[in-house]
Amino acid sequence: MTQARPTRQRVVWRHDQVLVQPDVPGLGDLRDDTKHGRLLGRSFLRAQLGLSLMCLTLALVVTASFPVIAALAPAVARATVAGLPLTLIVLGFAFYPVLLGIGWFYNRQARQLEARFTELVDPPAAKGQPPDA
Amino acid sequence: MPDASVGAIAFVTLLTIMVGARGIRVARTPDDFLVAARQVPPALNAAAISGEYLSAASFLGIAGLVVAQGLGALWYSVGYTAGYLVLLLLVAAPLRRFGAYTIPDFAAGRLRSPRLGRTATVLVLVIGLFYLLPQMKGAGITLQWVLGTPYWVGVATLGVVVSCNIAMGGMKGITFVQCFQYWLKLCAIGIPALVLLFAAGHDPWRNLAPDQAPVFTSATTVSLPQATDFTLTRPAQVTVTGLLGQRQYRDLRVRLCACRYQAGPGTTIGFGKGAPVPVSLAMAPASTQPWDSPFLTAGTNGSHPVAATYGVIIATFFGAIGLPHILVRFYTNPDGEAARRTTLIVVALLSTFYLFPAVLAVLARLHAPQLYLSSDSDDIVLALPSVLLPGLPGELLAALVAAGAFAAFLSTSSGLLVSVAGALSHDFMNGGVTSFRWCAIAAGVVATTAALVIERFSLALLVGWAFAIAASSFCPLMVLGIWWHRLTKVGAAAGIVVGGGSCLAAIVSTMLGAASTGWGAVLLGQPALWTVPLAFTVMIVISLLTQRTLPGNVGRVMLRMHLPEALSRQAYRTPLGLK
Repeated sequence: MTQARPTRQRVVWRHDQVLVQPDVPGLGDLRDDTKHGRLLGRSFLRAQLGLSLMCLTLALVVTASFPVIAALAPAVARATVAGLPLTLIVLGFAFYPVLLGIGWFYNRQARQLEARFTELVDPPAAKGQPPDA
Repeated sequence: MPDASVGAIAFVTLLTIMVGARGIRVARTPDDFLVAARQVPPALNAAAISGEYLSAASFLGIAGLVVAQGLGALWYSVGYTAGYLVLLLLVAAPLRRFGAYTIPDFAAGRLRSPRLGRTATVLVLVIGLFYLLPQMKGAGITLQWVLGTPYWVGVATLGVVVSCNIAMGGMKGITFVQCFQYWLKLCAIGIPALVLLFAAGHDPWRNLAPDQAPVFTSATTVSLPQATDFTLTRPAQVTVTGLLGQRQYRDLRVRLCACRYQAGPGTTIGFGKGAPVPVSLAMAPASTQPWDSPFLTAGTNGSHPVAATYGVIIATFFGAIGLPHILVRFYTNPDGEAARRTTLIVVALLSTFYLFPAVLAVLARLHAPQLYLSSDSDDIVLALPSVLLPGLPGELLAALVAAGAFAAFLSTSSGLLVSVAGALSHDFMNGGVTSFRWCAIAAGVVATTAALVIERFSLALLVGWAFAIAASSFCPLMVLGIWWHRLTKVGAAAGIVVGGGSCLAAIVSTMLGAASTGWGAVLLGQPALWTVPLAFTVMIVISLLTQRTLPGNVGRVMLRMHLPEALSRQAYRTPLGLK
């Protein structure tokens, strides 16, 4: 029996390290409109708005910049690709996959944002099942 | 010759009535009538939304405008699609979660002011009417083209069919009708476009070359069914039979100069290969911009092309959010996540559809330059199949196009009438099923009457104006209402009245011919350029000045529009919105 004896551990009490587990802000705070609840809600809203505005800016930069470019550099507007006017290719075909891609990206991000927020305020543990049961 | 087309139109109309009538048995309560009991799966719903959205302007207007004015008119199709992306990014899910039926409901519920709701209702009626007019015009010219009936016959037919159908079935029927009509429209524009693309064969893209007016690629004889004014850009040797420039010819070779001519009805003119294409008054480009320039100058007579283009971009990108007949469809999604999925599918469906007007327009430019002698640019899509493909195949394709066009008028005007009648009966009457029915009929009568006076405006232009009004009134209301908790009812009311009012005033003065050149033409003809920023500014400034009227629980109402449903149900017991 040569099992090593557990070494002595030194425990220092620091009151700012104390975790009061049951008071994690969550559904209750949203319901009762507490300070925490409001803060949580507002940050969630801001994240959603940020995502929307980012995608909107991207869409506008890609599409609405074309007339400005064409006005500043007329050669771009008059260019032809395989005999077809560039304007036809851009306005007739090329913009649509871009718009779709931005929409798809937004949907994915928004869904993830909601899932993360749900997990934050309503973690599985709070529903009565221990996390690793 | 028009037998096939008549049959096709009658078939589409009957089918619409029958599918709609099936809905009567299912529709029992006002809830069913208005939003189809909120149980429509995303794919079906997306097709229904697209079916409702793709109107006469998309089906006939854009391609015609591209042929006449140049590729810049494709901004309309890009904008109509991008409008749905903007809707997805800014309002789709929150709006569904809020759970009101209509824009006025949203305004009244979000800002706790029934009076604001009624102000919004007035605007719903204005936008609805503006959007109904081009559908009626489309029906008028389609029947005129197919049957040779006077313009008013088509207008009245559409008015009667749609009003009666809605008064009977409500929206449950309409969901299936609209869905069916998206696929019908896609086939009706896609099949002719692809068939004609192969039938036309390969030709070096001669008429697409920049800096060149179109020429006839083969010897062509054009017969003019009605008296036509046209202009030639270069002198040409032609063979004329009939009345031309006050002289009667009989199979005579004539040299025409580069100037303007008047041809009598029934005149035929034979052009040789390589001859310049004469352009009728209705098809004359608005500006001296080359055909392939990306600027859109229709409606502003060619002044300040870049600014005019941005006017259309702003109106179409931000107008879709404010269309009353489209938003009502979002409540038929089961939840916010489904609303988002639905909207993305809509963007995909619209992108697919809008490939084809461009194809048809390019085909017309390449292979059917005689269409530049048409009396109305909106006829081009209807005329193209029989020009490119003579005989039975061309006739069948023309019938398909006519049926698709009619489907476009039927579905869009049905959706519009549902929202107009819903708004009327809900906000100004007792809101029951009976009053909804009477309102549908009344609104149909008003729109039919008004449509008789707007024949000379292009479809795409008219629809663009409806978008401009929506973008400068309801778009700021929805966007700020969903994202900005300091919006007050006074600010919202001021914004929609000032924005919507000034936009409407600008459009009406353009219709009356107030300014035809310079900045006046641009600012009045494409008012979204300044009325959209104006509406946002007024709404924000007035709201900041009236912060004292803000109710206490705004933060919670706002948050609940954005929380996923499962969370919202657990955190709050009472449902959101008016319901």
